[in-house]
Amino acid sequence: MTMVSPYVMRETGGNLARNIVMTVAAVVTMAVSLTALGGVLIMRQAVNKATVQWQGGVQVAIFMKPAASTQEIAAIRHELDGMVPDEVKSFRYVDKSQAYTEFKGMFSGEPDLVKVMSPATMPPSFRVVPAKAQNVQQLASNYNQQPGVYDVGYPGQVIKDTLAHFSTLRTVALIVAGGVMLGAIALVVNTIQLAIFARRREVAVMKLVGATNWFIRVPFMLEGLIEGLVGAGLAFLLTYFARDTFASFTGSDPLDPNQPLYVSSHEALLTGLFIVVVGALVGALGSGFAVRRYLAV
Amino acid sequence: MIRFNHVTKTYKGSVTALRDVTVDIPRGEFVFIVGPSGSGKTTFLRLVTKEERADDGDIWVAGKEVGALAPWKVPYLRRNIGCIFQDYRLLPDRTVYQNVAFALEVIGRSRHFVHSQVPQILELVGLGKKMDRRPNELSGGEQQRVAVARAFVNRPLILLADEPTGNLDPGTTAGIMRLLERINQYGTTVVMATHQQVLVDSMRKRVIELERGNIVRDQARGVYGMVDA
Repeated sequence: MTMVSPYVMRETGGNLARNIVMTVAAVVTMAVSLTALGGVLIMRQAVNKATVQWQGGVQVAIFMKPAASTQEIAAIRHELDGMVPDEVKSFRYVDKSQAYTEFKGMFSGEPDLVKVMSPATMPPSFRVVPAKAQNVQQLASNYNQQPGVYDVGYPGQVIKDTLAHFSTLRTVALIVAGGVMLGAIALVVNTIQLAIFARRREVAVMKLVGATNWFIRVPFMLEGLIEGLVGAGLAFLLTYFARDTFASFTGSDPLDPNQPLYVSSHEALLTGLFIVVVGALVGALGSGFAVRRYLAV
Repeated sequence: MIRFNHVTKTYKGSVTALRDVTVDIPRGEFVFIVGPSGSGKTTFLRLVTKEERADDGDIWVAGKEVGALAPWKVPYLRRNIGCIFQDYRLLPDRTVYQNVAFALEVIGRSRHFVHSQVPQILELVGLGKKMDRRPNELSGGEQQRVAVARAFVNRPLILLADEPTGNLDPGTTAGIMRLLERINQYGTTVVMATHQQVLVDSMRKRVIELERGNIVRDQARGVYGMVDA
């Protein structure tokens, strides 16, 4: 290809080196912006996944009082039976001895605690899988008031908190990413403008002797593209390893496939590639704009 | 080679640079365009290279109508035209050799072609031994020779010279004129704008005189002034 001749590579390299401070500024800004974007994307993937898991596996536990009468228990069971399958997907009854077995398993590390409890003191419970995750709250408030019910436990608050937490984070991160992205574009435009100005004599001679417009433009456009790509490359690395950092504020380990907020390397890689494409686009657009604006050919 | 057909050019602010100019410059001719500053000499040259557009009339260069030329074809038109200027317009951070080679590199000539042509052309302009100097190490006359080499290295059909000797002393000027004559003898059409009377008088070439955008004289083997009109 004649376009990427040694000449073009030399010119592009020279341009990048000549304005090294501006080049670094543009690249770093690009990297920061794209990292913020990448972080949001990674978070979204993790949270989407976690939400799906919760939605598939949400359980509501209706704990009866240990002293609840057989009639009270039967009443609840009857009511739950009536709700299958529209509101309740399935449910099972955990009686006192099963509850005790479960309890022993959960607190096997604390034999003293297990010793003071007996099957008689354990609350029987209904484990209910609602048909829709949204029904959780309604179910909970329904049964809270029933006679013989001690408490209704459900993970709704956790879901809500996490989603709210994420949504704020996402908004902030997107605003930051957008703002910094504008800065990055402005810096790319400015770097190219400086490069064009620094080489105005060469450009004048090139026009004079009949170099084609594209021949004159390509080194400048490549310069912007390279700035975008390098910035995106940095952001790619940061995002990819951001999975580790992500663990610190969600409390779960994104590298552990058993955790709800797990992000696979594959997903992180795709996000990284997406970011590289965005970076290249931003670089190319910025330099394209600068070339159109400041390089009348 | 160059034909202007009732060409008028007006700049913004209604300054008329050329008014209804009709002129025909055949292949291989050596023409002086004379006249005081602001008479339209430079505009004439810039219309040939399509750095400016005519408001009216048509301009033919090397068999093509310049006004009808698509923008992307303009570079190819310019490859047939060499240009030199009063201020040389050399690249200060490049050597003599690199300055001339640049003109070939940017139109996509092969490295081999560049290597074979540049030393040859620098020999022709008498700078064969100064190829590695930079422009600021050369005299004005030498710098203009580099510019001539750069304009001629692609063997253009036309050489346009805008006051090329305006900054040079008479001795150096004579050297540049001999060089332009030699280039003309190779078959290149030379059009030179100047207001140096002695120069024009000594050459006895065709003279086109402009005054406020009008052609007031077009004379074969003329002199600068109207003395023998």
